[in-house]
Amino acid sequence: MCLGIPMQIVAINGYNARCQAKGVEREVSLFMLQDESVAVGDFVMIHVGYAINKMSEAEARSSWELFDELLASHHA
Amino acid sequence: MADSAKIWLNRINALQPQPLRILNVCGGHERSLSQAGLRSLLPEGVELIPGPGCPVCVCPEEDIYHAIQLALHEKVTLVAFGDMLRVPVNVGKQGVRSLAQARAQGADIRPIATPQQALALARDNPGRQIIFFVAGFETTLAPVAAMVAEGIPDNLLLLISGRLTWPAVALLLHSGEIGFDALIAPGHVATVMGANEWQFVVNDHQIPVAVAGFSPESLLAGFWSVMRQRQERRLFVDNCYSELVTPQGNVRAQQWLQQVFTIIAANWRGIGTIADSGYALQPRYIAHDARQHYPDYANDARHRAGEMPPGCGCAAVILGRQYPHQCQLYGNPCTPRSPVGPCMVSDEGACHIWWEHSPVNGV
Ligand code: SF4
Repeated sequence: MCLGIPMQIVAINGYNARCQAKGVEREVSLFMLQDESVAVGDFVMIHVGYAINKMSEAEARSSWELFDELLASHHA
Repeated sequence: MADSAKIWLNRINALQPQPLRILNVCGGHERSLSQAGLRSLLPEGVELIPGPGCPVCVCPEEDIYHAIQLALHEKVTLVAFGDMLRVPVNVGKQGVRSLAQARAQGADIRPIATPQQALALARDNPGRQIIFFVAGFETTLAPVAAMVAEGIPDNLLLLISGRLTWPAVALLLHSGEIGFDALIAPGHVATVMGANEWQFVVNDHQIPVAVAGFSPESLLAGFWSVMRQRQERRLFVDNCYSELVTPQGNVRAQQWLQQVFTIIAANWRGIGTIADSGYALQPRYIAHDARQHYPDYANDARHRAGEMPPGCGCAAVILGRQYPHQCQLYGNPCTPRSPVGPCMVSDEGACHIWWEHSPVNGV
């Protein structure tokens, strides 16, 4: 649960955002980031469906690599 | 391994570190470092100890029992994070051992991945009571607090078993001989709560701390930092995950945590009660508190016992006093397919992670 998944924001509607990571789309809540300016195209770290912070694209990409490896080993 | 990780490894080797026991308190850290095989890459004498990083593992047995009984006997739908469903409780042969077994017997129990799913289920079924069984650390409880603060329907009740991370570390630091020399603080807990939360480890116990992320680079940077802090005798809370972590954390999320929850003394499975370590709903949310709505199915005896299954060493594993493979049941009969204890059930449990990555069996 504490690992978290980085995703990129595709669309924003109030506190709800459509986010994608590697072709998978999810509804995500931006409620915890309401003190920040968040825009379409930003990368965010997601925990149990909530964005907990913004992050850079570079950091998101390196986390995705880690995830690929974890998933690969998980299903091996 | 990425070049940047190799650079950190070289730096670590250049330090020629003394023997050092580094504790992590996050299942995500343990999974990442096991996956990357970091244990075998570090200089001899540097030990990486998995500690209390698995909220499912420490969820009190009586709470799981209570959730099972609620789902079996009340007209409710019970939702919980998927990991919780297979965690066994201690009952006789005829008893229902887990939420998954209760589900097989017809109880309406559904695994979910996000609080939003519980919310949607409650909205879609206004005539049905939905009980959301919440086990987790700050990273889970903050989103739940945000959900409650945003507003939830009357038919959504919460059975809260949330825990704070730092009090377990404080307990380890206050119980006799301390089993570690350095701490890697959890990156996403710190994203929410702030890196400053770990200052007490440095100030009160002279133990170096590094907040780390989940990539091998970030973890190695954290290891290097605590080794160097030791060598130079200059201790502080180093932030090796500054991409997400600030000294103060997500202040808004902390406000919701305060608004929605009080902090109580709470039981940790196999460990016992730790002061100021649990979340409970504030009185103003009493209408959403499943503990107030329904009788407690766990009687006093169960509250007192509340232990790990017989023979299971999870408590020692969680406290960092025993490695998973040192448990007599590890691998036989306890495996992720037929887990004996919670540490083999949860994705964040050290036994489960070790079994998958077989750091000892050498597979
Ligand atoms: S190997 Fe199984 S029985 Fe032993 S401590 Fe881990 S979960 Fe418990």
